[in-house]
Amino acid sequence: MTYPDPDDPARPARPSVRPFLQSGPHAAGGYRPSPGVESPADEQTTTLRPFVITSGRTDGADPEIGMETQVTVVHAAVPMRLSPEMRAIVALCGEPLSVAEISARLRLHLGVTRILVGDLRAAGQLDVHVLDNDTPDPETIMRVIRGLRAIT
Amino acid sequence: MDFEQSPDRIRGTARVGDERPKKAPVPVKIIVAGGFGVGKTTTVGAISEIAPLTTEAEMTSASVGIDDPGQAVTKTTTTIAMDFGVLTIDQTLKLYIFGTPGQPRFAFMWDDLIKGALGALVVVDTNRIDDCYPAVDYFERAGLPFVVGVNTFNGQMNYNLEEVRWALAVRDDVPVLSFDARFRASVRDALLVVLDQALDKAIRAKST
Repeated sequence: MTYPDPDDPARPARPSVRPFLQSGPHAAGGYRPSPGVESPADEQTTTLRPFVITSGRTDGADPEIGMETQVTVVHAAVPMRLSPEMRAIVALCGEPLSVAEISARLRLHLGVTRILVGDLRAAGQLDVHVLDNDTPDPETIMRVIRGLRAIT
Repeated sequence: MDFEQSPDRIRGTARVGDERPKKAPVPVKIIVAGGFGVGKTTTVGAISEIAPLTTEAEMTSASVGIDDPGQAVTKTTTTIAMDFGVLTIDQTLKLYIFGTPGQPRFAFMWDDLIKGALGALVVVDTNRIDDCYPAVDYFERAGLPFVVGVNTFNGQMNYNLEEVRWALAVRDDVPVLSFDARFRASVRDALLVVLDQALDKAIRAKST
């Protein structure tokens, strides 16, 4: 197998690819897509990657699961084999935690987190505390106002 | 990524014998929206009891020029996902404050975001008033109570509040106020105005 000489001025310029990819499998295999098809390939590596851990699902997150939705672990859950990401989520949720906080703390894409939390809920590993009504009632708002006034 | 919890702690089985898990608090949220670099993160950070958590990605070279940082040219990265803070009201109630990018190309996130939200604070920089138009448009259409807050960065405002109101052409019942995103009390007062609006709406909704 011959590798292209990176210093060879005759090499075609491939401006849209990060440098280390230029010496990657494409170059080694002699496969050189035209510059026109280069950018979608590059985009794929940056945008789709997180969803590998959701088995490719980018949507299908439960609409009930919002960013502020509180999640807790089910202590009586039947032990089961979980992916490292799922284990990390379960380990965090000993105390009630919001989906957004899970996403931030594990540095997991928010969309990915919502999907995984939905899966863990379906598997009986997590309690997802969905609110009964979507619209905030005056009582709750009054409590927030009083609480906010109290801070200095 | 950091997933190094030891295997025996997985799934919380090691916690058997712990006290019963606490009842999850009811979460409520307020949105902080606005153009690029207007001080959304500062606003969230001023009021939050934790350092704001961020899902942050550095601004790509493609967005240079699109986002137009204007005067705040020293800012080299921007939050393209969102950052948020938390304020525990009491054991059973938690306020989340989500800062969200105001550019129209992020509007797909807003539908999710405003679901169940109490209201929104639209942060405005008088140097670049038009940056907040997408957010104002969106909240008006969505019927979410909102307040326009002019961030007085250096204690200076290029336009007075009447001029800002005129430029935005918001309804008369939408408050336009000035605040300083760096100070907790100032952010608190701005959020209290948002909550007043939210309360009005909730009472109206209940009485009909």
